Amino acid sequence: MIYKILLTVWMAIIIVAAFLYAEAATGFPGETSRILFFHVPQAWVATLSFLISMIASAVYLAKRRVKADYLAQSAAELGFLFCILATITGSIFAKTTWGAFWNWDPRQTSIVILLMIYGAYFAVRSAVNDPDRRRVFAGVYSILAFVTVPFLVFVVPRITTSLHPENTMNPAHPGMDPKTLKVFLGSLFAYTGLFVWMLRLKIRVLTIEGLREPKFMSRKPDNE
Amino acid sequence: MFAVTTLIAVSFSIGSFRIEEAERPFLYSVLLWIILTFSALSGLARSFVKEEEAGTIDVLKLSARPQAVFLGKLLFNLTLLGALELMIVPSFILLMSYQISFPGFFIAVIISGGLGLGAGTTIIAAMIARASTRGALFSALSLPLLLPLMITCIKGCERAAIGISSAGWPEVKIAVAYFVIMITMSLLLFPLVWEE
Repeated sequence: MIYKILLTVWMAIIIVAAFLYAEAATGFPGETSRILFFHVPQAWVATLSFLISMIASAVYLAKRRVKADYLAQSAAELGFLFCILATITGSIFAKTTWGAFWNWDPRQTSIVILLMIYGAYFAVRSAVNDPDRRRVFAGVYSILAFVTVPFLVFVVPRITTSLHPENTMNPAHPGMDPKTLKVFLGSLFAYTGLFVWMLRLKIRVLTIEGLREPKFMSRKPDNE
Repeated sequence: MFAVTTLIAVSFSIGSFRIEEAERPFLYSVLLWIILTFSALSGLARSFVKEEEAGTIDVLKLSARPQAVFLGKLLFNLTLLGALELMIVPSFILLMSYQISFPGFFIAVIISGGLGLGAGTTIIAAMIARASTRGALFSALSLPLLLPLMITCIKGCERAAIGISSAGWPEVKIAVAYFVIMITMSLLLFPLVWEE
């Protein structure tokens, strides 16, 4: 409860600060660079949850603990949500700065593939009826998908050079305005906090649903 | 059958002179890989479903180790893909009068792409054989995994056709790396799918 209130207050502060405290970065039309405070943390959470989902899947396949699968599923669902948010905010930014909502920039290509992988992951989950088999298949698919992602690093930069702002908005870049950096890190923290809160809620929901699962459907874990 | 139909449809409606000279290498390599991938997907989806429908899957589980079953199915799929490529690629080149500057590089891209295609989809075929909705699910699951490979191979064929210098054959290397990694991961993960 206290966590929820603190998080709400913190996010409100960040939203106000993003528009009033931090100054718009130079080199971008108007105030567009303020999207940094929302778009980048969303993309970060989407990537983080993809990673969490993969690790939890591997843990489930090794140990066969249902909790690990709940974590994998929750992280995937939230990751999908944040991935969509990042795509939308990103294409709004693309429209104002590059002139089109979509132009197959490498970043846009890779986020589409991420969305497709998430979509396929949910397709596996909905297609298998037996709960244990569903968990194993989803885990296997999650790991397979994760393995193919590094290939994009080789493939995508060959197509075009990215228009995505890297250096001007990179927090590691020394040129970043200290005020911007402060708000950006605060926002990153807020989004991660939001993600953790939603993740815990989702796991609780899945646990309760799991209790209602008919007992005869669940089998003992196979010990190979 | 699917392969031949699409090939005829594409070559009939586009012909060999409809597309401008400069655009040809790129568009033809895209078309070639679309035909190859989708005809491959319609065939490969069946490899484990067949066992499930014939009821032979239980005997297979008892009598063979999962890795052996996987490698056998992979070999079968790769043979199927090889036959498909042998049929499609020459007729595509003839029908569309596709000019290729580096035939060796082109053939290497086609072969390594086929290997990757087989390696990426065999374990998916094993999974969908145990799922309730089969046909549509196979493409939905395979395509996100195959996308990096497809982009690589399209790029490779285009470069081979135009004749851009291709020292070290980077596209072939990527496709072969994809093949090796997918087989390694599948060998690790296949027993879990097989025994479920």
